[in-house]
Amino acid sequence: MTVILEAKDIKKTYKMGDVLVPALKGVTFKVEKGEILTVFGSSGSGKSTLLHILGALDRTDEGKVFVGGIDLSTLNDSELADLRLRKVGFVFQFFNLLPRLTALRNVELPLTLADVSDKECREKASEVLKLVGLEGRMNHRPTELSGGEQQRVAIARSLVNDPSIILADEPTGNLDTKTGFEIVQLMKRLNEEKGQTFVVVTHDPAMAETADRIIYLKDGLIEGIKKGSGRL
Amino acid sequence: MRRKTVFSMAWANLRQRRLRTTLTTLGVIIGITAILAVTSLGEGFRAMVTEQIEYFELDVVMIMPVGRQTYFTREDAENISQTINEVATATPVMQKMMPTGLYRGEKNATTFLLGVNFTEFKIVYPERLVFGEGSLPQPIENDTIVLGYSVAHSETGEVFAGVGDEVTVAMYVGGSLPIRNYNFTVVGVLKEGGAGTLISIDNMVLIPLSTAEEIYQTDYDMMLVKLVDQKYSESVADEIKDLLQKPLTALAPSVMLQRTGNILDMVELFLVGIAGIALLVAGVGIMNIMTVSVMERTREIGILKAIGAKNRNILSMFLAEAALIGLTGGLLGIPSGYGLAHFLSYALSTFRSQSSNGFMQGGEVALNITPILSLSWVAGAFVFGLVVSLLFALYPARKAAKLNPVEALRYE
Repeated sequence: MTVILEAKDIKKTYKMGDVLVPALKGVTFKVEKGEILTVFGSSGSGKSTLLHILGALDRTDEGKVFVGGIDLSTLNDSELADLRLRKVGFVFQFFNLLPRLTALRNVELPLTLADVSDKECREKASEVLKLVGLEGRMNHRPTELSGGEQQRVAIARSLVNDPSIILADEPTGNLDTKTGFEIVQLMKRLNEEKGQTFVVVTHDPAMAETADRIIYLKDGLIEGIKKGSGRL
Repeated sequence: MRRKTVFSMAWANLRQRRLRTTLTTLGVIIGITAILAVTSLGEGFRAMVTEQIEYFELDVVMIMPVGRQTYFTREDAENISQTINEVATATPVMQKMMPTGLYRGEKNATTFLLGVNFTEFKIVYPERLVFGEGSLPQPIENDTIVLGYSVAHSETGEVFAGVGDEVTVAMYVGGSLPIRNYNFTVVGVLKEGGAGTLISIDNMVLIPLSTAEEIYQTDYDMMLVKLVDQKYSESVADEIKDLLQKPLTALAPSVMLQRTGNILDMVELFLVGIAGIALLVAGVGIMNIMTVSVMERTREIGILKAIGAKNRNILSMFLAEAALIGLTGGLLGIPSGYGLAHFLSYALSTFRSQSSNGFMQGGEVALNITPILSLSWVAGAFVFGLVVSLLFALYPARKAAKLNPVEALRYE
């Protein structure tokens, strides 16, 4: 299997006022192409920090991250942005759609940033929205969509630039159980149909179990890695 | 990111906050309006003044004494025309600048008396000494008088006197001397010369120089020097001062034109400076509103960065908003400034005609400025508005661009 993402002994410490808070104390693991990996941990375990670092939104204090073999520490801010644009997709707990834009325009955004032509933007965004089951809701704004629909739009947006990996931060955390279930199903379907790789951060054990592998994170360290059931 | 996309996003953002955008743009509109109103009025005023000065023949220099005891003689005039090469003709003139009563039976008029050598005067001012009625007799008698158009015809259209009429000049020479009367025969009435501010020949009567000399019992108090070319105005004025060694002042319309132009330049620049402050205030308004906007959109900026927007994408989005405000403000400010100039010019004209005292020919002197919108000022104001908008937006836009994405995403 191809390794798509690799974390090598990454450490990160935050400064909260005068207090230094170690968030990650040396985390090492690999993500293989086509797998769904969950990072399970309680709040404050450092899982969100880990996700930000993996997604090139933040830098490590020590250790290295490789995305598709590229050492992120060698890239400048602009190159990191470009990597986020082309190799990584983000899905957030609170969806993080732009409220003024329709679902379609939200999904078009990454393409727009990548200088794709208007026509191609429209085509690709519609295609992806269809893939997540929102072909009938494309011209609605986020406020006119349910939480589950908003998260589908967010997934469509993360997917639209064909990223090598999608990083999801508590994607079901703000949804009821049934809707959350549907989102997990969607991710699994994308994984099966398109071979899309996912790293999902969660504190929900049931959600964690659905993955191929589970990383248990506690106080900035990996407690253990085990296989998930892969079932819902 | 393509420019078109950046601007369409900026436009969408501005539309989203309509009231705020309108008010911010209003600041720029006011700034541009102020600048263009001031400059188009200024240009109009310049044109008016220039026209007034050009009413005087630009190739004629008027030599006037400084102080009451200085007079010129015929020798002075001859000296000038013979010594100075650039001088075509120099002629002495008697022009006591005091209103004089003119009578014909029951009728009377107020005028100014000008003693001239008719032959030389015609050479100096060929376009002024043009007869509407009558002509100069040869030889010229001592009691010859030529009336200016407005003297002969009153404003109501009534004719005061015509060719052949006898008129009486009542002369108060000065001191305790009694008023004396002199009788003249009208030989002609001049054509209407049009409005000039300083001296209008329409309100004057011309009499022979020798007669004026007799009446006033002094030498001449003015000389008219016609030049070969107007470009010698300044040098000839200096040469005359050196030559005559008398306290005198030279009034050269062409020099006046140039100096007035310089003064107007300064005044205009000063006013533009003040108007420019309005635009700077608008700039601060933009900075203020954009700083707030950046704060409000922190999370949005975080999202954009998370999905791959570069710092310069964010920077250009905010700068594009400022540019749109600047452009719109500029475009709307141009007609608004021109309109304000017209309104002000109207207000000025009514104000002036009410306050004029009649002595300076009332309505004729009213400040009727036609605003002139010069392309260079329009372009200048427009560019200035755009630059100010962008400059003041630079700080908040950079702040937005440099936001840490993780912190921005956490922002509530």
